[in-house]
Amino acid sequence: MTEQQTRIPSLDDPEVLVQTPATIYDTVPPLAPRTEREAEFYTLADGEMFVNLGPQHPSTHGVLRVVLKIDGERIVDLDPVLGYLHRGVEKICENGDWHHAISNCDPLEYVASLHSEALPVLAAEKLLDLEVPRRAEYIRVLAWELNRISSHALFIGWLALDLGGLTPILYGFIERDEIVEMLAALTGQKLLFNYLRIGGVNGDLNHDFLSRLGDWMSRAGKHIDEQATLMNENEIFVNRTKGLGRIDRETALRLAMSGPPLRATGVPYDVRRAHPYSVYPELEFEVPTRNDGDSYARYLLHIEEIKQSLRIIDQTLEQMPDGPVMAKLPRLLRIPPGRAFIALESPRGQYAAYAISDGSDQPFRFRIHDPSFFNLQAVGLLTPGHLVADIMAIMASLDPIMGGIDK
Amino acid sequence: MSALSDPWHRLNSGGKIVLPLVALLVLGTVALTVVWQSGLGPALYEFGVATAQANIDILRFLAAVTGILLFTVPAAFVIIFMELKIIAFMNLRLGPNRVGPWGTLSSTIHGLKVLAKEDFTPSGVDAPVFTLAPAVVYLAAVLTLLVIPFAPGMLGYEMELGLLYFFAIGSLGVIGLMMAGWSSFNKYSLLGGLRAAAAIISYELPLILGVMGVVLLAGTLNLGTIVENQSGSILDWYAFQQPLGLIIFFIAATAEASRTPFDFTEADSEIVAGFATEYSGMRFGFFFFAEYVNVFILSALTVTLFLGGWNGIFDIDVVLEPLGIAPLALGDIALSSLGPWLLAIPILVPPILVIGLAALVWMFRSSWGLLKSLVVGFVLANMLVLGAISIWGLFSFDTLMGITWFMVKSFALVALFVLMRATFPRVRMDQLMGFAWKWMMPAALVNLFVTAGAIILVMELA
Repeated sequence: MTEQQTRIPSLDDPEVLVQTPATIYDTVPPLAPRTEREAEFYTLADGEMFVNLGPQHPSTHGVLRVVLKIDGERIVDLDPVLGYLHRGVEKICENGDWHHAISNCDPLEYVASLHSEALPVLAAEKLLDLEVPRRAEYIRVLAWELNRISSHALFIGWLALDLGGLTPILYGFIERDEIVEMLAALTGQKLLFNYLRIGGVNGDLNHDFLSRLGDWMSRAGKHIDEQATLMNENEIFVNRTKGLGRIDRETALRLAMSGPPLRATGVPYDVRRAHPYSVYPELEFEVPTRNDGDSYARYLLHIEEIKQSLRIIDQTLEQMPDGPVMAKLPRLLRIPPGRAFIALESPRGQYAAYAISDGSDQPFRFRIHDPSFFNLQAVGLLTPGHLVADIMAIMASLDPIMGGIDK
Repeated sequence: MSALSDPWHRLNSGGKIVLPLVALLVLGTVALTVVWQSGLGPALYEFGVATAQANIDILRFLAAVTGILLFTVPAAFVIIFMELKIIAFMNLRLGPNRVGPWGTLSSTIHGLKVLAKEDFTPSGVDAPVFTLAPAVVYLAAVLTLLVIPFAPGMLGYEMELGLLYFFAIGSLGVIGLMMAGWSSFNKYSLLGGLRAAAAIISYELPLILGVMGVVLLAGTLNLGTIVENQSGSILDWYAFQQPLGLIIFFIAATAEASRTPFDFTEADSEIVAGFATEYSGMRFGFFFFAEYVNVFILSALTVTLFLGGWNGIFDIDVVLEPLGIAPLALGDIALSSLGPWLLAIPILVPPILVIGLAALVWMFRSSWGLLKSLVVGFVLANMLVLGAISIWGLFSFDTLMGITWFMVKSFALVALFVLMRATFPRVRMDQLMGFAWKWMMPAALVNLFVTAGAIILVMELA
């Protein structure tokens, strides 16, 4: 008996795969459609085809998968497929105690995680009816606004990169790098800071942070203007983004959009002003709005918001009071029973949480409202009729972060 | 028999190289003498010369194609390095800085890496077309170089219809892109290939119409003659008579080379890598090389048509004459024309050359001792002198100056292409087409009519 005869071919054997006729490339019979919409979407008309954009694609931010139905280059319809990053954060938060929820909420908005980690903190403080030391509030606002700038700087770079510009992303990363370095001096981390605590913050301002901050603030405004001159008047950039992905006020409100995409339609809704939290009422800043509602308006709005954030940082440094940075709290924290809804303005819009406490040290229910999810809904309305190249400009200008969308 | 008693094994590694070479030399000399003395050698030699003379055109063509093929590889390496470094400069990065001084060898290492990768064909592709496509793209790029004059009289193939040949062969590249797109069994590749096909219809017309003004002025399609017409001062360049034509041609050439801002055929943020999505290894390398060769070729054509080709920006003789240096050509080696400089050559030049090279080597390899650097510098100086003498023997001074000017101008344009890539976002496909049909086509036609009218007017007046 030779070796050849004893060999039992398996289906995974490459030799078998090569020798089998290419049936693996035959169309896989699709699953039965579950809804009418699915049945309509997954039926191809003449000349149409599906293209999978993602979950591994150079320009989907994170692991968003979009099934495009295209006719040539023109998008007929699209179907976003979510859930590739689903971790069950809400349930994880309910299984740990309130302190654990802080680090569990951190990766939700991984580009500006100081905002998402504030959700359980603010909710617990509201349930406790806790007076947070004023110095801690000011430090929080300072860190939040720094993080907002670092996120917006990346937004500008990403938008340009998705439109094919190579340089702005690196200019954006210069800003982000400096901010991340100084936040690392403050918090000890560069991405998932885990800095806020129920009743204050973890650690006071230190010399390293303040020297870096002063160094950066002396040229931040100039840098932002430089970056703006690179793109604001760029003929190709303006032509690619102006009038693209235009959404009107009513639709934006109906989709529960928030943040820059909503303010670009002319609605001056900013949680920092509409439902003030922390020490924002004591600070002077404007809520910039635009009326066009297109990608270009969203881009310009981000630049203006960076300037407003710089204003806020200046004021927090001026008005920073002395005192403790943590409230006095018992070691084992039991939150009184009750329900609390808190909202804050993250770089992407209204981040909110609805927390129910049953009196134990764990949240009974912790519902997270993520702005990226609601902003991303608009893609389905905005892209049909545009070219494949435009979906990048639209999606990048809505600035979704998949961590929060998939939760 | 033990290893030690074997004479071959007792040689050291240098001896193992030298001994066969000596043996080969001795045997070759003996064989040559025998063959020559027996009368067989001269007969063979006569036959060889006669055959070569009868087929001199074919030989020349083969030599030209080989030379150009060999030229494109280092040219592409240089352009890739330029791109890495210039874009890094624009991005406030360092760029490549590990391999070779200032990272100059990094693109070469990239090329070797690509060469060493597996030659992979995904199952499901149309294998013959898939294999052929990179060759078509690369050859279409390389063969266009045949008609570009690098220096007076130095061009691959003298052709009366040189410009027509250039555009005809240059358009073949798109067929290669479409082949890659269709055969790859990938929707992104398909989109990339179709984008390339759709785009060529739009930009090829303004590209050719933009040149027509120059063709009217020159009265010929022969690129060598077009360059000769521009000799004289810098004001004789066609760029000054055809500024609109130059602008139209340069924009359309950017699209032809599918460079930013018109790189939508391989837009990485939209269709992954376009037609090259399924390619890897050296097949991808051919696409990659072809892109950079195309950049060089279109810069070279722009220089040839509009910027004076191998003509100098200023007259080099004006600089050389006050120094007492007259350009030397093979045939009239008149060293006496150097005058007092003749004495300086044997006394001053060798030590300066050796010490200068040794200093350079020492700077890059600071771990080396001074003596070692001096030895290396001596060897380098000898190689340099030998190279200079052979170049002097092979090419005339005019040819060398022509190549230098041509390369300087071409690479300046290549740098412009690279700067554009670092600066601009990408335009959308329909925007390029709208621009090509609504603006560039009418502008090119206006340019053509105005040029033709001016020529008729001048002829009427004369």
